[in-house]
Amino acid sequence: MRTAKASSYAYIAPAFALLGLVLFAPVLYGGWFSLQNIRYGAPTGYAGFRNFERLLDDPDLADILLRTFVHTGASVVITIAISLALAVWINRLSPRFGYVVQIVVIVPWIISTVVAALLFRWVFLNDIGLAAWLARSIGINNFQPLTSPAGAMALLVAVSVWKRIGYAVIILLAGLKGIPDDYAEAACIDGASGWQIFRRITLPLLKTPLLLVAIVLTLSNINTVETPLVTTGGGPGDATRVLAISVYERAFVNFDLGGATALALLMFAGNILLVVAYVRLSKWKA
Amino acid sequence: MAAPSAPFRPKLGAAASLALVLPVAALVLVNLLPLVWGVLTSIKPESAIFAIPPQFFGFEPTAAHYERVFASGFGQSFSISIAYSIFAVMLALTLAFPAAYAFDRFDFPFRQGLFLLVVASIPLSLGAAALLIPNYVYFVHLGLVNTPIVLPLIYAAHQLPMVIWVMKGTMEGIPRELDEAAIVDGASRFGILRHVMLPLARPAFGAAGTLAFVGAWNEFVAGSVMIDAPWLRPIQPLIYSFIGFFGREWGPLSAAATLAIVPILLIFALLGRLVVSGLTKGSVKG
Repeated sequence: MRTAKASSYAYIAPAFALLGLVLFAPVLYGGWFSLQNIRYGAPTGYAGFRNFERLLDDPDLADILLRTFVHTGASVVITIAISLALAVWINRLSPRFGYVVQIVVIVPWIISTVVAALLFRWVFLNDIGLAAWLARSIGINNFQPLTSPAGAMALLVAVSVWKRIGYAVIILLAGLKGIPDDYAEAACIDGASGWQIFRRITLPLLKTPLLLVAIVLTLSNINTVETPLVTTGGGPGDATRVLAISVYERAFVNFDLGGATALALLMFAGNILLVVAYVRLSKWKA
Repeated sequence: MAAPSAPFRPKLGAAASLALVLPVAALVLVNLLPLVWGVLTSIKPESAIFAIPPQFFGFEPTAAHYERVFASGFGQSFSISIAYSIFAVMLALTLAFPAAYAFDRFDFPFRQGLFLLVVASIPLSLGAAALLIPNYVYFVHLGLVNTPIVLPLIYAAHQLPMVIWVMKGTMEGIPRELDEAAIVDGASRFGILRHVMLPLARPAFGAAGTLAFVGAWNEFVAGSVMIDAPWLRPIQPLIYSFIGFFGREWGPLSAAATLAIVPILLIFALLGRLVVSGLTKGSVKG
């Protein structure tokens, strides 16, 4: 039984004060701000939805959304495919060896995105990077992903995948550990193959963690500014200018704070949909 | 047949276990090569950095790049990032501890709804790009931009929901009889928090604190937007500005990247096990 206690609010009030200041109040203020005329960064009167309408004037908007979809979609699918295979594999290793492999898998996840992207940029630097040399040594000449639009996008996806596999593996591994061995054992006795066990038993039981990982990966890939900013800078040309960069640039390069706030709020609405899905799936209990 | 309690692992053939070495080698190579290459670059003399074929050893190590990095203001950013991160961790742990206790032990109106808000805020704080602009205009309005407290407040708030969640998960496992016994012995609620919960919840403090530290240390976007003054600039935005500053000089760039990884690897070496358990218990940071 929980103790009924009205003074509980004193225990949670400080935490909610901070969340209110940094997470909740800015969204409300931003909502008001986005409906204002903004001149030199300061609101000068009600503007209706003009800031939102101006977003549609941007001829690149459709391209930006398409690139965001390509980057996020490819990153999420590839990350999940690789981390699922890794998690199933690690789960069958001896605990000690499995732990060592886990550590190796996590390392890219704990270093900062700025550093990770910088290192990738160095390894894949035009014709003088380590990757170009490795490619040449196996007979591929002219391997310069950063100089072509498709190559830059592929490299952006590669950094995103490399950075987040560790997180996905840990969560999926926890899910795998929660599946009783008896199921696979029983199926094995009935003559099921390894693939059949995976397809008919493991995968269905892993559905919730897989969906949660997919949501979190989608959220973090859509919202990452520094991955494209440092890896490609949005280039070559506009080939990797995704939504997060364009919000950032609209605000701090073009100084269109009204438009940037409006775009950010639309992004925020998208985030909320993902958060609602996340909350419904996760087995939270108060 | 295996005993019911023994973990079920399909027997691997000799060829299969030999093939085990291959994926491990590939994994280590892909995950660690960019890091190792960055560290090597940071201690190479200028002439060896662009050498073809690439040199993995056999060069004269030099500290020159590190000296240049420190001469360019790296020490200040490194120290202030340590300060920001530690302050953010302390703040998050301090605010989360009573809140988690109240959510786990007390009953009060709107408990479910408020806890739902906490759970939803975990993935919500991943939406950095979307939250950033409203956050920026609001903090400009409050006059908090470019102050020493703005980043610790933001970092603590972003980590707080995850910390509350991890702590509450741990407290669920601490029997309520301990609270009741302490009350019978005349302890106050504060006494229970201090002398019963605090010692027993220590693993949660370690796990959540480590994750919060890593999150604060690695943060880029808020750090680059909320801060203009060089002496307040955290380490990730500084490294990004180095890309423009050092241009094609990969020696200093990789030295800065290497130094930025050191605290993370250090804390991870000390508390790695806790991080893995903390992640599986409830953190969802991607």
